[in-house]
Amino acid sequence: MTCKLPLLAFAGMLIFGAAAYGHHSLAATYYPDREVKLQGTIIDFLFRNPHSFLQIEAKDDKGVMQRWSIEWRSSGQLGQQGIKRDTLKVGDVVDVTINPSRTVADHRGALKALHRKSDGFGWGKEPGDTSE
Amino acid sequence: MKHLYLSVSILLGMAAVAPLYAQVDLSGVWADRITEDSYERSGGPPLGDYQGIPLNDAGRMKADSHDASEWSLPEFQCRPHPGPYQWRALGAVRISEEIDPVSRELTAFHFEYLRSMERPVFMDGRPHPPDYAPHTWSGFSTGTWKGNMLVITTTHLKGAYLRRNGASFSDKATMMEYITRHGDYLLVTMIVTDPVWLEEPFIQTTNYQLDPHVQLSYYPCTVSEENISTAVPHFLPGQNPNLGADDIPPVAARGGAESTYPEFRLKLKAGTAKEPHSVAAKATATPLNLNLNAGEGEIKVLPVQGNIYMLVGDGGNITASIGRDGILLVDTGLASMSAKAMAKVLELVTATTASPEPNRCVGLHCPGTPYGWSSPSLNAIISSPAPPKPIRYIINTSVDADHTGGNERLALLPADAKIVGVTFPPVGVAPGATVIAHENVLERMSAHGPGQTPAPSGALPTDTYHKENYKLSEFFNGEGIRIIHQPAAHTDGDSMVFFRYSDVLSAGDILNTGSYPVIDVAKGGTIQGILDGLNHILDIAIPEFRSQGGTMIIPGHGRLCDIGDVANYRNMVAIMRDRIQDLKNKGLTVEQVKAARPTMDYDGLYGSDTGPWTTSMFIEAAYNTLTKK
Repeated sequence: MTCKLPLLAFAGMLIFGAAAYGHHSLAATYYPDREVKLQGTIIDFLFRNPHSFLQIEAKDDKGVMQRWSIEWRSSGQLGQQGIKRDTLKVGDVVDVTINPSRTVADHRGALKALHRKSDGFGWGKEPGDTSE
Repeated sequence: MKHLYLSVSILLGMAAVAPLYAQVDLSGVWADRITEDSYERSGGPPLGDYQGIPLNDAGRMKADSHDASEWSLPEFQCRPHPGPYQWRALGAVRISEEIDPVSRELTAFHFEYLRSMERPVFMDGRPHPPDYAPHTWSGFSTGTWKGNMLVITTTHLKGAYLRRNGASFSDKATMMEYITRHGDYLLVTMIVTDPVWLEEPFIQTTNYQLDPHVQLSYYPCTVSEENISTAVPHFLPGQNPNLGADDIPPVAARGGAESTYPEFRLKLKAGTAKEPHSVAAKATATPLNLNLNAGEGEIKVLPVQGNIYMLVGDGGNITASIGRDGILLVDTGLASMSAKAMAKVLELVTATTASPEPNRCVGLHCPGTPYGWSSPSLNAIISSPAPPKPIRYIINTSVDADHTGGNERLALLPADAKIVGVTFPPVGVAPGATVIAHENVLERMSAHGPGQTPAPSGALPTDTYHKENYKLSEFFNGEGIRIIHQPAAHTDGDSMVFFRYSDVLSAGDILNTGSYPVIDVAKGGTIQGILDGLNHILDIAIPEFRSQGGTMIIPGHGRLCDIGDVANYRNMVAIMRDRIQDLKNKGLTVEQVKAARPTMDYDGLYGSDTGPWTTSMFIEAAYNTLTKK
């Protein structure tokens, strides 16, 4: 098992590396070692390249409602995982875990995990399903 | 003897074909190999790690202000990697040769990378463009052979990143590349020289491997609203929380020329390495009243696109629409240059509209042949074309003498001018071109209070407007022309002119590529108005591809621009505004703000210690037009 993980990681890098890293450095944009959990309503889903963006309305740590821009994988990568343009819909209530932006006032993050209570749809639990 | 003949024949044959093989075949797809440069080609370098990059103090200040969210600005989302970074970026490179089909000479190489535009390297001996020509993300490249090594010289680069954590080169940088092939391996040595942000040339080598199984994949990119905030992301001096967060010794992470040499490691071990410090780039920007070819006393012409030409000379740039309806000028330059400007536009309109064209059609229904005659022997019109039409419109972008100085001379129509479709002036009134400007321009030009000298009546605007927009009442040279007022920017009477079909915007002094924005506070200018104007330009402009080309923007002074250049300039103005605002909020006086040198990183690009618009004057104007919060 210990041997398989690096192999899986390497395979993932080969498959997803190009598009995932073709845009900007995620580690430079977001704190990779911090996590923020949000519950909010989807107001836009930008299924696109080089990265998709999920925009939700959710409260910040002060309880103030904010618009959050959450960076996800490219549409090509998500498509390979069975996620389509209409998988997420405006109005869906979701729980998300994000790596927050290094610019706090920007209210953005990189998606680590997503869960939709209404039907149990989730992303981010399987190996390779993080947006790094 | 027979063998001798054979040997001599072979030798002669080899000599004859030798020149054909003097050039190395570089064509093919070369795969990147992620080894020494793994973090450049994968997740990105640690923030604040500039080791190995010979940044000077200005370059370090620029890098420290970098916020990676800048990549999510709409203008930068699909920005390609710039030439000096590209070799260390992810993905293969495809090199192809362009061969003259007759002479079989190599006329150009074409380089394509994963996310970049096709990059030509001209091998036909052509010169590099003049300094007022556009810059691109890959620059303008020419190549020569030095033995088996391809030597590429690149100029006309847009400013961008050397490393994806803010370490940057400016648009004054030049790049040399030395490419050698060793079997299936390619060795690329790159040397970047930048007088603004580097204290020594930045040298880097990279390897690629020929791989016939690799294809250059499609790299799709669409722009959307990635940032919630509409501000330009950056960190104020001393407030970047991400510096020094890695395990790299801080002394090394700060970069500098010393960190590029092997001896630096020994100093690190011995604990004798010092924090790098170098004199920041001097203020070397072009003085405002001069243009890029200042002092030459000539008008130079750069064809832009569609009907539009850019005339560059002493004074402000002149935008000219040239075509069958005649000539329309945006600004008229200095009065002293008006005779040369007139000669140049008449030369252009003659060449464009009145040159004989061969008759390519036979028969009774040839479109475009005047009066239905189709035979060249009958159609004397081809050999005797109508005279070109004169200057019919002048639009002034501001009141400045280097933009309106030629009005009087250039607005004069020839006495026998015949202008189709235009109502002639009443008897007794000398015919002249219509001069359009915002009403505040007319007000200032005609002011005759104490100490004021009104402009001659022949130089004054004949038509003014006072709202946000003014549309020319008719198509001119086949396109609609929109005049846009930008309030309280360079002055309170600024106009930008948009040529809708040609897709060219003439920006006036809201954009000056060679200086900090000129804010004429006495005439109602503000730094916020300049910023609004630049954002307005970005709203209008659409790139052809990858944040480059498409809508072209002619600045009041300096080189021809596109959306990428304006975004770079806008970012600079936003950063300057935020820094000066922050210092003012802290209670610093204007002299204290100047002493804090908030412009230090950009002074090598836009600053000036002398001339009519100095860095000190810019800081003062910005300070005085910002409100303490």
